This record gives sequence, C-alpha cells and structure tokens, in this order.
Amino acid sequence: MNAEDLDTVYTDLCRAMTAVGEAQAPILLARFALLAIVEIADAGRLRRLIAAAAEDLAEATGKRES
Amino acid sequence: MADASAPRTGRAFAPYPFVPERFPAALPPLRDGVDRSRHRVAIVGAGPVGYCVAIGLAVQGIDSVLIEADDSVCAGSRAICISRRSLEIIDRLGALPGFLATGLPWTGGRSFYREREVLRFTMPNDANQRLPPMLNLAQYHIEQILLERARELSDRIDLRWQTRLTGLEPHADGVRARLATPLGDYALEADWLVATDGGRSVVRESLGLALTGTNYEGRYVIVDVAMPSDRPTERLAFFDPPCNPGSTVLVHKQPQDVWRIDYQLRRDEDAEAAVRPENVLPRVESLLAMIGETAAWAPIWISLYRANALTLERYRHGRVLFAGDAAHLVPIFGVRGANSGIDDADNLAWKLAAVLQGLATDRLLDSYSEERVAAAKENLRHGTKSTEFMAPPSFAFEWMRTAVLGLAVRHESVRSLINPRQTSPIAYTGSSLSRAVESSADFAAGPAPGSVLVEAPLGPRTPSPRAADGHGAYLTQLLGSHFTLLHFSKGGTLPADLGGLDAEMRGLGIRWHTVLIDPGTDDASATLAARYDAANGASYLVRPDGHVLARWRRCAAKDVRLAVARVLDRIGAHGGGG
Repeated sequence: MNAEDLDTVYTDLCRAMTAVGEAQAPILLARFALLAIVEIADAGRLRRLIAAAAEDLAEATGKRES
Repeated sequence: MADASAPRTGRAFAPYPFVPERFPAALPPLRDGVDRSRHRVAIVGAGPVGYCVAIGLAVQGIDSVLIEADDSVCAGSRAICISRRSLEIIDRLGALPGFLATGLPWTGGRSFYREREVLRFTMPNDANQRLPPMLNLAQYHIEQILLERARELSDRIDLRWQTRLTGLEPHADGVRARLATPLGDYALEADWLVATDGGRSVVRESLGLALTGTNYEGRYVIVDVAMPSDRPTERLAFFDPPCNPGSTVLVHKQPQDVWRIDYQLRRDEDAEAAVRPENVLPRVESLLAMIGETAAWAPIWISLYRANALTLERYRHGRVLFAGDAAHLVPIFGVRGANSGIDDADNLAWKLAAVLQGLATDRLLDSYSEERVAAAKENLRHGTKSTEFMAPPSFAFEWMRTAVLGLAVRHESVRSLINPRQTSPIAYTGSSLSRAVESSADFAAGPAPGSVLVEAPLGPRTPSPRAADGHGAYLTQLLGSHFTLLHFSKGGTLPADLGGLDAEMRGLGIRWHTVLIDPGTDDASATLAARYDAANGASYLVRPDGHVLARWRRCAAKDVRLAVARVLDRIGAHGGGG
C-alpha cells in the first residue's frame, strides 16, 4: 500500500466514523477491527498488532494538565 | 479584563524590519469623467498575483493598467513560502534575483508529538535542481520585489495607487470600471479585466458570483515575532506540545529575524479574546522556552485564520478573468495560496497576450479557466487533506490523528500521514490543449503532455541565452515568454524542415525558440536525453508557461505547425493544414 492509498483509506475511515457519530463510532471501529482480523487471518501477527495498539496507550493519549 | 494596549506581559510590540514606500493617488487625463485612453487590460489588485499578470503581459509586449486600492505594498503576515515552481515562473518574469537575495531557502522539516520527534520530511530535491524546493519570505517582500520589476517595465505597466474599484459593467467587447480615488472618481474602459483583488474580491461581488466549497471550524492564531536566532530554516510542527497542550503549533523562519508562529485554538476558545496580546504572548513565550530560544523577542503582528476550501466554478466570465484568491481560497496548510495564484497568472498571461495580439481566438482563454479550475480542485483536495490533519473537523479526525501521532514514534509505516503535503507542480492532465495535439504515446520517461518540465542541468555546449555566461545552465532557463521546441539530435544538426521553424513562427508573430540538444556531446546532455527518453530525432514542444504541449519520437515541421495551430485555435488560418 503506497502513502496515497493509506491516506485515502484513512480519510474514508474518518468520514465513516463522522457519519455514524461519536456515540456509535467505537462500535464501528470494533466491527472494522473484527473484519480486519478475519481478513488478516494470521493469529501471531494479529496478537502483535493488538499488543502494539495497547503499548504506550496511556502515555501517548493520556490527558495532561493544561 | 486587561487592556489590549497594555498587555499584562508588558512586552512592547516591534515594527516590521521593512518600511513600505507610500505612493500618491493620480488621475489620468479624463474626458467627461472617463479615462481618455481605452486600455487593453485592466488588472484589479496589485498583490503577488496582480503583479505577476501585469509583468507576464508586459514581457509578452502587452500594456496593462494595474489598479490598487492601497497606497503601498501589503502589511502584516500573509503568504510566507514560495515554491520552486513559483520561483521558475518568477525567473521568467525577470524578478528571480531579488527573491534569491532576500528569501531563506529550505528543504524539509520536523514534526513532534508531545516531547517526541515523529516525522522528518524532505521535499523533492536532488543534484538536478538549480532552485530550492521552498523559499521563505514575507508577502511584503514578495510584493516589493515584484513592484520593482513592474517599475522597470513602467512603459507597459500603468500602476495606479489609492484607486478603488466601486463598480463594474461587463460588456460584450470589454468592461467599464468605476473607480474612486482621493482626488476624485472616474470610469475606465478596457477590453479585458483581470480580477486579482483577493479573497474579498469586489469584482466577484460586482458580478454576483460566489465561491463554493467548505469553510472549516478550526481556527489558528498567526503571530509574527522579532527574534535573532541561528536556528536553521525548516518547517517545525508541534502537536499537543508541553508548552500549549491540546494545540498544534507551526514555526517558520523568515528573513531579517522575523519568526512566524501559527497555533490552533481550542474549540471552546473565544476568537476575540484569543487574539488579545495578554492571551497570545504567554503562549509564544512558553513555545520559545520549550524550543530553547532565550534571546529577547518582541511581537510584531497578531491575526486570526480560519481555513476555507472554496472556488468559483469558472474563472472566465465573458471579458472578466479571475485569478488567485479572487478565484479560489485554498487552506493555508501546504502553502498553496500565493503559489497557486502565481501559477494562475502564468497560465493566463501568454494566453491573454496571444488573444490580444490576434494570434489566437478567445477560446484559448476558456482553456485558462478549464486548466486552472482543475488545478484548484487538485489544490483543494490536497489542502483539505492537510487541513483535516492540522485542524481536525470532527471527533473522528481527532481520534485518528491521536492514533497516528502516538503510533508514529515506533511505527514508521504510519508517518506518511503526518507529512504536511507541501505544494507540488500540477499537471494539466486531460487538458483540451494537450488533447488537441497528437503526441507519441510510447515515451518511457520524461514529462507527459500537460506536465511541467522536469529540471535538469544542460551540457556546456547547449546555448542558453538566459544563463549568466550563455552556457552551462539548466533546462528551465531555456524557457521564456515563447514556445520552446527541444529537439534531440545526435551529431547536433537540425533537420532541414525544422530549421526553418524559428523564422516561420516569428514571421507569424509567435514567440518561438528552437533548441538543439546533442546527447553525444557531453554527460549532462546524455543524461538529459535519457531522463526524457529522447532518442535521436525526438522533440518536446513546451508552452510559454513551461507545461509540455506535445512530444514526438520523430516530428516534422508540419506536426509542429499543426500543434501550434490547434492550440491557438487557428485551424483554417495560416499553417492549419501543415
């Protein structure tokens, strides 16, 4: 996948989330993750991706005092 | 609430290190309140785009009157980055030395998320280039340098300061403009009017036209500060920085120790309060402390920016042509505003000149609208992408950006999403001008019809009139106000029938320059021929604006004649059949 394709798909996902609204967006992401899981279909790789997504999560997104 | 004139920080404002010259209003000789001269072209708005149109017409031999409401070049912080493509255009207009003498060249930048660097990017740059990918200088410098060039051409450019357009009557064969000056009002008639009067175009309003597209909610504060620093020229972006949590901050170095800082406002911030010095200066102070700048600094300018992605549907309305911000408003991110306007001017000048010189029918100007509307749409597409990252328009774009920035530290594969997508030359793919001419389809390399020339050094024996010593220059220096036929020939001879084209075209009044490149003479010529897939006998025909019109494996004079006739819409006139 080249940078332009990545960019396009990224934007498509943002638009899909925006369209369903903030309340439903986590469910949309969960469904998307599930479909990506069965498509990737490689348990080892998927476990590494789940770990990578969780790694540093608090540090990378945690709220700070402003 | 603190008084804006006495900010809590006690920091005094400094002036720009540039004092604009003020120009008086003047009235032309009038008859019954009307300018006695009917003008061929009136250009409304002496900003960067208006100057480029006027200078572009002048180098084509066309006179114009350039009308400016103000009494000097602009003030404040506006366009700050000029692209390589714009510099090539400015070179053809004869104003490049001033830009290179004043501007700060740069090639890339860095982005940070919180404390960590998450992207280092470089813009396309290699040994084949003569000009930097980007040059920073303030818009008042841009306008001043173009003004000086316009004054050199004052026999062709009639510049009228403190002259404001108050009304416009379009006619089938021209326009009548109503103008107001401190010395009195008058009307002016012109065959054509070019509207370069900016985002709040009076011309556009007078014709009842509106821009359509998207207005974004995200707002940025723009601050210029005076600060001496040896820091290199690069684009710095800080996402959610410790100095301004939740915000995005951009930093650009400008000439003469001026620094431009742009930062995003939070959704809940009040716009009016946000631009008050007591709210702005502490944020600047903490940013400068964060990046380790300890020198004394002073604010110069504060304003508010909101991104728009808007365009007119057409840039030609009878005898009125729109260019620059009057035609389209492109988001600030990716620096496509002034740069796309300069490209508009470049596309328009040679076409309008050809129509006024009787070389082409006015349909050539429809191709101006077609090509530049298509370019604006591409600029808006890229600019929108940049804006969606820099000023996320919904919770979704914000969540996803947080994901990208957090993952980018360890995962290189997502970093391209942070790239600021700086402006790059646009190809007129599918343009009716390229489609009207048959090119050879089997080139494996080199710019396709509609694209701009790809820069390359020339061999020492390729004559280049515009290089300092006449030789050893770069390909784009062969361009000028003329069509250019690049012919590749081993042995360095022009086929007999192509040899007569220079004289033939000039005889018709068409500015023309045939250049012979012999791939056998030296390495640079051989490399150029290879990069253009130009074997013995191949030719590229290049428009005055540097876009390739056609290319042929082998061409005869009749192919070239037909191509020119098609583009100028002269089928049936001389040379139509070839």
